[in-house]
Amino acid sequence: MNLLDIRNLSIEFVHNEQNILAVDKVSLSMKEGEVRGLVGESGSGKSLLAQALVGVLDDKWHVHADRFHWRGIDLLRLSIEERKVLLSRDIAMIFQEPMACLDPTTVIGEQLTEAIDSGQLSGFFWQRKQQRQAAAIKLLHKVGIKNHTVCLTSYPHQLTEALCQRVMIAIALAGRPILLIADEPTAAMENTNQEQIFRLLASLNQLKNMSILLISHDLENITHWTNTITVMYSGQFVEAGTTAQIFNKPLHPYTRALVDSSPSANLHLPAKSRLKTLPGSIPILQHLPIGCRLGPRCPRAQQACVKAPLVTNFHGHKVSCHFPLIPVKSPPKKIIKGVC
Amino acid sequence: MTELLEVKNLSKSYRHKNYWLNKKTTTVLSPISFSVKTHQTLAIIGETGSGKSTLAKLLVGAEPASSGSIYLNGQLLETGSYKQRCQHIRMIFQDSGTTLNPSLTILQLLDEPLKLNTPFDELKRKELIRTTLQKVGLLGDHMNFYPHMFSGGQKQRISLARAIILQPQVIILDEALASLDPSLRSQMINLLLDLQQQMGLAYILISHNLGIIRHFSDNIMVLSQGKVVESGKTRDVMSKPQHKVTQKLLMNQSFQLKPKRK
Repeated sequence: MNLLDIRNLSIEFVHNEQNILAVDKVSLSMKEGEVRGLVGESGSGKSLLAQALVGVLDDKWHVHADRFHWRGIDLLRLSIEERKVLLSRDIAMIFQEPMACLDPTTVIGEQLTEAIDSGQLSGFFWQRKQQRQAAAIKLLHKVGIKNHTVCLTSYPHQLTEALCQRVMIAIALAGRPILLIADEPTAAMENTNQEQIFRLLASLNQLKNMSILLISHDLENITHWTNTITVMYSGQFVEAGTTAQIFNKPLHPYTRALVDSSPSANLHLPAKSRLKTLPGSIPILQHLPIGCRLGPRCPRAQQACVKAPLVTNFHGHKVSCHFPLIPVKSPPKKIIKGVC
Repeated sequence: MTELLEVKNLSKSYRHKNYWLNKKTTTVLSPISFSVKTHQTLAIIGETGSGKSTLAKLLVGAEPASSGSIYLNGQLLETGSYKQRCQHIRMIFQDSGTTLNPSLTILQLLDEPLKLNTPFDELKRKELIRTTLQKVGLLGDHMNFYPHMFSGGQKQRISLARAIILQPQVIILDEALASLDPSLRSQMINLLLDLQQQMGLAYILISHNLGIIRHFSDNIMVLSQGKVVESGKTRDVMSKPQHKVTQKLLMNQSFQLKPKRK
């Protein structure tokens, strides 16, 4: 059974009496214990999608979906309150820029204990405060902060960014979520810290069987840590498959270009040679091209591309393109009879 | 090929203001020497606080050096010589969105360095701006736009135009490629490589992304706590890192290279 199953989710908003589809019919499914990467450049709607999942978008955005199942429960049939209770119990999210998301006027300890709900605590009311404190320290240890006393009594600006990100993860873990949505957890971090955060997430995934939706703008950064990847471009679904499928045999011209454009993925390239890249830049929301939004930049675009392509499935490798890069099959070998 | 930029024993230390009896100093950059040739790129890597950005600031003259000297084409660059320095050594910053003045048009932005440093009249300046914009892959008519009308990649191109408009010899890229999207980043790398070919620029590249460094640079210098721990040809250092710090940095990166095979 899928943990999360979303079909044709669209997010739109009205701007100058004109409907703008920021996310156009994106499907996403996750299995239990899976680490899924969600990759897209800026303006691809990946953060919007994550925020719509948790339900923190404000009223100007209109979200529609054909199907939205969470562990077999049809969330579209529930009332808003019921949905909120269910989602806030099971899904946690860590946001971009941990420094900006923590409250700068309160100490870390207070913010962390606030996140621990009283259902987890046992004992009488006079024991609660101590238990809460103990639980907070335990959470900090879990995310690899050894010096808990200093951390609990300091304000966010006194800690480094990597430490703040760990605190954010600890706050997210306080509710014991089943799905953790990490929205660019390592943006603007240096290599050593990046790896530490990714390692922490990977260990949480393995020890607690927690599913993780890892959002990133850079394909090469997250390939090591994910099982499956979904690629989005400018609000449209591009390609989904296992990491190896996406990275080694991309079917969509856009994914191909992403893999080709990263110098660390192409070690055979001679130094200082030109990198392959798509022409043009990412369209802005007010001037989206019709049909397949990659159209004007796509090297394989033809007349059919003015209509949005349907999703085709090649052995679990889903791609949304009229002219996918299907590898040419080698002709079947002739079987020579009579030779043993 | 002669040395374009030569740095000898450059260092930087800050003196704490209080306690005038027992003055304390913090050394950010211990004496450092290196040289860069035309058509070449020197990459600088290191952890945070290793003095990379301080070195960049010293080179462009944003801060005075505590000791040491910088030679450009064999000529000594003095601390106050901004007029000479800003023509030949230019810098591109990490976040192009905040380094362009939002209340000026591109024409005004690019006009400023020309007004201050060249004797050209208005017509000549406008023409130069037009050709420079075309050189970085924008249209000449873009000069009447304001920065907010451009996307992130285009803004970075404008910063590049501002850097090359005075025909400099050295450009310092302080994490200039980090905030760009992958497809725009590779466009930008191609553009920088083309300009290096055409104008014989020397780049000093400060970056975290080892893939880009491997592709882009000829020489590499690894900094740790203000000291150079390793330097040499990029290919040699990348394939056989000698120092512990380099090995650690490279190991972190190699984690990201290959996808998990199952």
